[in-house]
Amino acid sequence: MSDPQATTNGAPSRAFNPRVLLVGLLVVAPLVAVLLVNLGRNPHVIGSPLVGRPAPDFSLQPLDGGEPVTLASLRGRPAVLNFWASWCVPCFQEHPLLVAASRSLGDRVRFVGVIYEDSEEQVRSFLARQGSAYPSLVDPGSRTAIAFGIFGVPETYFLDAEGRITAKHIGPLDAASLRAKLEQAGVTP
Amino acid sequence: MTPARLRLGLLALLAAAALVAGAAARAQEAAPGAEPASVVGPPSGAPLAGAALEARTEEVGGLLRCPVCQGLSVADSPATMAVNMKAQVKELLAQGYSQEQILAYFEHSYGEFVRLEPPLRGVNWLVWLGPLLALAIGGAVVVRVVLRSRRGEQASEPVAADAPGRDTLPDDPELARYVRRVRELAYGWPDGRPPKAA
Repeated sequence: MSDPQATTNGAPSRAFNPRVLLVGLLVVAPLVAVLLVNLGRNPHVIGSPLVGRPAPDFSLQPLDGGEPVTLASLRGRPAVLNFWASWCVPCFQEHPLLVAASRSLGDRVRFVGVIYEDSEEQVRSFLARQGSAYPSLVDPGSRTAIAFGIFGVPETYFLDAEGRITAKHIGPLDAASLRAKLEQAGVTP
Repeated sequence: MTPARLRLGLLALLAAAALVAGAAARAQEAAPGAEPASVVGPPSGAPLAGAALEARTEEVGGLLRCPVCQGLSVADSPATMAVNMKAQVKELLAQGYSQEQILAYFEHSYGEFVRLEPPLRGVNWLVWLGPLLALAIGGAVVVRVVLRSRRGEQASEPVAADAPGRDTLPDDPELARYVRRVRELAYGWPDGRPPKAA
């Protein structure tokens, strides 16, 4: 500070700087966009890439014996594929709804349960207590569950009459979403 | 703007872009069927057996995310689902399916989510090249700022606009006279007034 000239040199402009604004916007705008898009989403619900495509083929033995149920055998009318287990509380909650829907819709929709990581005795005693209206299929090694991209139970796939997946429901079904997804699969109310 | 802030901002920008990329990424194959061959075609490699099969099962399982415990790989997770998936990986390797075919098969069911390493395609490139790019840009900014500050090392620190300058005088005329006299003596300015700035 010994040189008096220095005191007037190099004073920064405190005025508005468009470069700062531009770089700030470049950083902030994408972050805001990502937050707007993703904040409403549940990160644990991952959309299935199979929706809109033909269902994976399978051939599974019903718990009660009889002919194996295959994808081909479901064709001709819409189908509901419910992956479930007797140890799963939400499955217990949605079970009466599925049984009632299966009974009331009769031949118009094919309901099928696929057992997920459960013992046959447990499933039998669950069905004896809670009632059953449609076959429950044994899935050794969860091969069919893996082919359908199951994350946990309950998860329910809706198939149209051509065996194409029209919707996937994660978690327990309620009457309204069951009705909506059945309609989507081609069931007239 | 400091270089640290600029670099932080660029990193945040790239992270945001990577998030968008991840959310938008979806599997593209359209073949039906649970049979892997109907999804990814016939095995493209040689069937494995013995120790090589075990080792490859761990490697490929390590690239698959366990759908149940989402932070772990299929090779590391003790969950039944992961054990089942690992068994299927082993079976597919024994049949001669390649690593890429096996990953594509699981991706067909679960989406790109099931891969622990995002494949090098589309916007995913950003995830791999983003950090290098950010490092290069940040480095360039640091070099520029250091060079500039070295060049202007003699320049004084910033002064507020209303700070007293070399021609500022006190309001008191008596005092102002003394200040001008001091300036005249100290700097050799005639009548204590600074020469016109260049």
